[in-house]
Amino acid sequence: MQRSLLVPLPQSRRHFLAGVGGLGLTGLLGASAWSGTEDSPVVFPFVNGARNLVKTFPQKGAMILQRTRPPLLETPFEVFDQGIFTPNDRFYVRWHLANIPTVVDPASFRLKIRGHVRQTISLTLDDLVRKFEPIEIAAVNQCSGNSRGFFTPRVAGGQWANGAMGNALWRGVSLKALLDRAGVKTGALQVRFNGLDTGIIPQTPDFMKSLDVDHSLDGEVMVAYAMNGKPLPLLNGYPLRLVVPGWYATYWVKMLDDIEVLEKPDDNFWMSRAYLIPDTPLADVVPGQQGVKMIPINRMPPRSFFTNVQDGARFKVGEKKIVRGIAFGGDTGLAKVLFSADGGSHWQEARLGPDHGRYSFRQWNVDFRLSSAVPQNLMVKAFNTAGASQPDRANWNGSGFMRNVVESISVQSV
Amino acid sequence: MRKQSQFQGLVFVTSIVATLVMASGVPASGKKDEASQRWAVVSVELPASDENFPPGIGADIATSQCLICHSAGMVLRQPPLTNEEWRAEIMKMRSVYGAPMPDDQVDRLLQYLKGINGQQ
Repeated sequence: MQRSLLVPLPQSRRHFLAGVGGLGLTGLLGASAWSGTEDSPVVFPFVNGARNLVKTFPQKGAMILQRTRPPLLETPFEVFDQGIFTPNDRFYVRWHLANIPTVVDPASFRLKIRGHVRQTISLTLDDLVRKFEPIEIAAVNQCSGNSRGFFTPRVAGGQWANGAMGNALWRGVSLKALLDRAGVKTGALQVRFNGLDTGIIPQTPDFMKSLDVDHSLDGEVMVAYAMNGKPLPLLNGYPLRLVVPGWYATYWVKMLDDIEVLEKPDDNFWMSRAYLIPDTPLADVVPGQQGVKMIPINRMPPRSFFTNVQDGARFKVGEKKIVRGIAFGGDTGLAKVLFSADGGSHWQEARLGPDHGRYSFRQWNVDFRLSSAVPQNLMVKAFNTAGASQPDRANWNGSGFMRNVVESISVQSV
Repeated sequence: MRKQSQFQGLVFVTSIVATLVMASGVPASGKKDEASQRWAVVSVELPASDENFPPGIGADIATSQCLICHSAGMVLRQPPLTNEEWRAEIMKMRSVYGAPMPDDQVDRLLQYLKGINGQQ
């Protein structure tokens, strides 16, 4: 049981939020490029960036519609200002294949563990809850292509702004416990995960992802049956999804019902041809660059965001404001968040909110006064405990993966 | 706005308290009840897309091919793509995902996509 990863005392969190909320933030979130309404679309600051806000998806509140079928739903960014954990009904949604079961009967559902193991096992959902020690971990789930719409030059794919991510408290069973029950045999190399979704036509490759055996046995990779204390919404993978802390969401297979231990490297389409990144720092290449070695996407780098101030916000000169946001360390803990009020010439360390574990969002805030009528560039930059930080220049690749450039917004006087 | 955000923060705190109670306060004998309550049959309906491809020469190909696997929004919300990029998308849909598109439709669909959302 990873007690250290449990949510800290709610009291400290309330204090942090109340302290921030009481300092006069009214108006900082003005008419919003983030939130939109059902009548007026969200307009992201990139070409062809208008999106409707919809409430038509099951178990979901207002979401930004990227695609109806199979669903791609983005979390409105204002949600990230309301708490460190993203509510289940606002958590982003991303499916590859349109044949998604719309009815899940827990009585007949089974999770199979098979392949290069001593004994194949088949578990009911009650088995998972009753026969295995539960673990909990707070972790960010971020789409590989989060923020793709900001790539310059633009690239094809889901045209997300920054809301293809979310943070939840996941509860479930460690993958290690399940694999130990089945008994991984000598010579196993990878573990492959498959869910109930399939393509519409038989030629479409079934969506499956694999992790190395050592990673699968690290005790942190989890088969989750609860999210923020509740069952997962169907569109987030009910009844089970894989949780791979610190790794991009492509590995977090939804509606997980099949775990197969492999003695050969997985060469299925979704591992060998899709979700590949240049094997360069932050997957960064020059547009048009050829001959770069490609590898499967994997760990997340750090990121940080403003959540209560948008680009173009207006302040009274000299008035004290709290500027705040969220940050995460990626594949390891967040070490610090730096804030600049002058376009990166000077940096100060931000205050950090409660620590929910190394894979979670963490809130940050700073005091800020607009010094004159001259517009100022505010920037925020996260550092993780391994020393990695965000690049000042945007990383780029042809798939639109792994963007984590320092966020920069311009503010000016009223 | 401020009141709203404080309110939402407090609601959230309440839900975390509930989570903690559930995580640490459920006696072993209560676990089965917890589990059986948790595992309800979930039945949902996914909305149909109300978006269509705009009219034009080749719209029939887009409708009959692209919509097999995904709604039109995926195409309509792309940035304007170059000829080469649209062609690569079409070829990927055919060769990888299995769109049953005859050879003679490729260029017609390309011209259509270029027309509705092409880079000039």
